[in-house]
Amino acid sequence: MTIREAAESLRRRQISAVELTTAALSRIERSNPTLRAFITVTAERALQQARQADSELAAGKDRGPLHGIPAAVKDLFFTRGVLTTGGSPIYRNFVPDEDAFAVARLQAAGAVMLGKLNMHELAYGITSANPHFGAVANPWNARHSPGGSSGGSGAAVAAGLVYAALGTDTGGSIRIPASFCGTVGLKPTYGRVSRRGVLPLSWSLDHVGPLASSVRDAGLVLNAIAGHDPADASSSRRPVVDFVPDDDCPVRGLRIGFPRNFFFERLESDVELCVRGAIARLEFLGAEVKPVTLPDISALNAVGRMILLCEASAVLEPHLKDRGQFGPDVLALLDQGRLLPATDYIHAQRLRKQMQREFARIWSSVDCLVAPTTPNTAPRIGDATVKLGGIEEDVRLATTRLVRSINLLGLPALSIPCGLSGGGLPVGLQIIGPPFEEALILRVGAALEDGGVGIPPSPMM
Amino acid sequence: MKDWAAIAKASGLDIPAKDLSRASQALNGLDEVFRPLAAGLTPDMEPAATFSADQEQA
Repeated sequence: MTIREAAESLRRRQISAVELTTAALSRIERSNPTLRAFITVTAERALQQARQADSELAAGKDRGPLHGIPAAVKDLFFTRGVLTTGGSPIYRNFVPDEDAFAVARLQAAGAVMLGKLNMHELAYGITSANPHFGAVANPWNARHSPGGSSGGSGAAVAAGLVYAALGTDTGGSIRIPASFCGTVGLKPTYGRVSRRGVLPLSWSLDHVGPLASSVRDAGLVLNAIAGHDPADASSSRRPVVDFVPDDDCPVRGLRIGFPRNFFFERLESDVELCVRGAIARLEFLGAEVKPVTLPDISALNAVGRMILLCEASAVLEPHLKDRGQFGPDVLALLDQGRLLPATDYIHAQRLRKQMQREFARIWSSVDCLVAPTTPNTAPRIGDATVKLGGIEEDVRLATTRLVRSINLLGLPALSIPCGLSGGGLPVGLQIIGPPFEEALILRVGAALEDGGVGIPPSPMM
Repeated sequence: MKDWAAIAKASGLDIPAKDLSRASQALNGLDEVFRPLAAGLTPDMEPAATFSADQEQA
């Protein structure tokens, strides 16, 4: 059931928020030992919120489509009175005394908060094989990774434990789990959603966004969390529109580009097949689909890595006196960042601006871009490398290859499921738009969903 | 290639030799792509800074 369907049932009194919440808590109790999607479940608090939601609806107070809907957030969002670990022992006793901006917005919209979701340690990685809280499993096949770093968010949505989840995306960390778990994941434009009250990894690359089971549900969540926050220096004053696509959302006449270079190199064959199928569907729906040549994406990726390494090491340096607190993969990245000189960081931020200008030219010839989200489907938990196009690659570098540059550019990007591989694992399609054009990419995503592009519910749903 | 061990020593970083070797390998790969890009920058290209005096006063 989608948020829209649950919201309709709530208003027709066919179901109550308490019933929705109780059912979700039962599913968590049943599935979490396998999935390890939650670090903390706030059952009592959730039931209290659900009772309040029911009382309000009965009294005629309707907070909107998220009213009474069970949701959860990645465990790096501040939650007042609830443990917030960042997936790390560094924050093992951290109980914030305020909610993150996005969490407060969700709660004001009436969402019922079920708890805190597991993640890659400190959001610094893409496997969610957390050495401290357990490896999150993929609902499509528990031997496989859900991706990350918002792996608990992807797994919880795909398994039907929650209707929506919040994640963060610094180098693909919403879109990768969306791709691997077969959910929708939206990284909004940098500045569209406040980062206040989110444990930082990289101030200039971190983005907050939703994961949900449909494009329109992702739009509903974005409606709740988007908007200016004077306490976040990067928060935009751009007006917030209604992000939920209409029931009829034509793409006829839209100019949709697919990259000639980089994005279709070294893909799993099933990924290429599914993505090209979705592109053909866009053409069938009347979009003007055309090939485009993009600026050097590997250069963008290198600049993005440079900024991430430097900023993350600056964030976490105070904790590096005790190296034993970190998992080996995170520690390796933190060491790399500490070795880089300040001049390289500044050069990277200069290159970022230059590349932003170069990339922006593309929007004069197309309205949005479509490409695979990840070149591969979910690897097995523990795999350090993947083989693509005959080349053995580091799993982190391979998996972030098609998403990282979009963080550097701050552009909005949506991942939607567009098929299953022969091995029964989801494939993600990425829709990338110009700055602040979330409504446009959601419209394209919804048109594809309405046009039959998608996958069945996961076996754990 | 840079001498990352010397950089670590000069910066007073206490990184064990095995970890340093791993970091050096990764950084050499990154540096190979990054260095030519940085070399092409012209002085008029300012960094993408987020500081805003207005925001500070708000």
